[in-house]
Amino acid sequence: MSQDSYIQLKSVSKKYSRGGEDLIVLDQLDLNIPDGDYAALMGPSGSGKTTILNLVGGLDVPDSGTVTVAETEVSSIPTRQLPAWRARHVGFVFQSFNLLPVLTAHENVMLPLQLTPLSAAERKKQADFALEIVGLSDRAGHRPSQLSGGQEQRVAIARAIATDPDVIIADEPTGDLDRNSADEILELLNRLNEELGKTILMVTHDPAAASNARRILKLDKGHLVSDEINRQASGQTQGEA
Amino acid sequence: MNFPVRLAFRHVFSNKTRNGLTILAITIAVFLLCFLLAVVRGIDAGVRSASSTRLVTQSAVSLFVTLPMSYRPKIDAQEAVTVTSEFRWFGGYYQDPSNFFPQFAVNKDRFVDMYVKDFEIIEGPNGITGPGAREAVKKAFATEKRAAIIGMGLRDDEKYNFKIGDTVPIIPAIYQRADGGAWDYVIVGIFKPLKARIPDKIMYFRSDYLNDSIESGEAFGEVAAGVYYVNIDQGSQSEMIATSIDQDFLNGPQRTQTVTEAAFASFFVSAIGNLPLFLGTVGGAVLFSIFFSVVNAMLIAGRQRLKEAGILQALGFPPITSCLLLIIEGLAVALIGGALGLALAIGTQDLVVLNFGDSIRNYEIDSGLILLAIGTSSVLGITAGLCAGIPFLRYRPTEALRSMG
Repeated sequence: MSQDSYIQLKSVSKKYSRGGEDLIVLDQLDLNIPDGDYAALMGPSGSGKTTILNLVGGLDVPDSGTVTVAETEVSSIPTRQLPAWRARHVGFVFQSFNLLPVLTAHENVMLPLQLTPLSAAERKKQADFALEIVGLSDRAGHRPSQLSGGQEQRVAIARAIATDPDVIIADEPTGDLDRNSADEILELLNRLNEELGKTILMVTHDPAAASNARRILKLDKGHLVSDEINRQASGQTQGEA
Repeated sequence: MNFPVRLAFRHVFSNKTRNGLTILAITIAVFLLCFLLAVVRGIDAGVRSASSTRLVTQSAVSLFVTLPMSYRPKIDAQEAVTVTSEFRWFGGYYQDPSNFFPQFAVNKDRFVDMYVKDFEIIEGPNGITGPGAREAVKKAFATEKRAAIIGMGLRDDEKYNFKIGDTVPIIPAIYQRADGGAWDYVIVGIFKPLKARIPDKIMYFRSDYLNDSIESGEAFGEVAAGVYYVNIDQGSQSEMIATSIDQDFLNGPQRTQTVTEAAFASFFVSAIGNLPLFLGTVGGAVLFSIFFSVVNAMLIAGRQRLKEAGILQALGFPPITSCLLLIIEGLAVALIGGALGLALAIGTQDLVVLNFGDSIRNYEIDSGLILLAIGTSSVLGITAGLCAGIPFLRYRPTEALRSMG
């Protein structure tokens, strides 16, 4: 692992079987993302973006190669222990929000906190704080069906940060939102990165969304084809293919 | 309430139509289970409460063939026999055929002593109650030829409301009076049954009232006994005594068959087929079919929760959490349905007794049935939840998250 790599994929390959044929999604991929970075993964459908998120988030395991997050080799953690690792280190934000419709916003944010050793009062305090960060304290008692798409995604972000994870993984977080709501979410992710120092790995098809990231990684057919520092976001340019 | 329980309960109440219908199905199944088992237990209670120190002597040909009155002293003379009384079915009714209750002609001197352990005399002549009531009733029964002893149900039921000293006309179905009228009986004693086998709406009257009326031409019929009830000494060999009684009458005029009271009671149950088995099978079949419908409902719930399982796994919950949620949901649905079914069974208990009390004696939703209903509902719910939840242990989070559930 290079000295400043927080997320490192080394010679990672992944294939899926579809209709009896093997479909190579990632092919000997190497990727390094430093601590506190905000990276956008772009590329056509099937290029392996979501697979990378799944591997980094410990939702899937590579066929070969290693995935390391915060000096822990995720790809070697036994399957049984992966949920506990995820609970401690990763916060997920999904395109379709994935809130539980039967729970209120506050209860949704409380969900990952159930897995922490915090007391009930501490959990509540932490959930309140997370909702405050995303500006939804006044909607805490509302169910997802009573919230707008943008608000749902903000609740999902509050849920992702409630346990104070090392990494936030966002899969098309603005994909289901209108421009205004999308901008609010991107602004929120910027704040999480800049103010709270969260390392963010975001998959997006939207160039406007990607322009918020400090770094833009482009994938095609399982290979990294571009790794650019976003001048607009970081104030400096450094590109390599 | 901790998280899995709260989330599971939210799911129970989130899909009101599906879970409402499942709860309704379980309610009906548990009600039927309780009802049918209470009937079966009622029937069994009659058999089980039969005395181990009492024999019944009937005609070896058929229960419907009478026995000579001369048999009683001969049976009484048997070693180890303590009391013998003839019993004869009267089959009349009070005012209207719908007001039917059993009436038996019994021995005036023996009957009260025979049933010391089976019923408690609670009221005798001149309002006497307590320990002295039995002797007072025994005396009155032996003195007044038209005397009758009734169960407390005939006193308490507003339809009858019989009291000590009342003269009760019973319209005969078998033993018609020459004048075409009713048989009048004078109530001298009221008893409370101590054994499940004895109904509380029953009347015993003197057999000599019936037989003397027949002999004098005031009524039509035959002077005879239906069966003889025979009390024997505690600890004596009932089979040997039964054989000895039957041997005494081998040469007639009627051959006898003597059995224990329990065997005699069983005869009536088996006469209508194996009713307990039949009712138990019906109850079991209902429960079995409901089980599949509950499993089906939970499988549908499971399919709808697949994405939720993926979300929970992504958040760090182990796969067993989703399985556990479905088990709790299944258990909650089954227990709500079971509780409602039980409440229905308990709530309708008086109604059942009121309407079918004479045919379903000892009908009671007792603590055993309550426990059985709760246990059955729990097993039903847990099993259905397991059927739906176990596949969740196999799903990878990425598969579950891709689902549309």
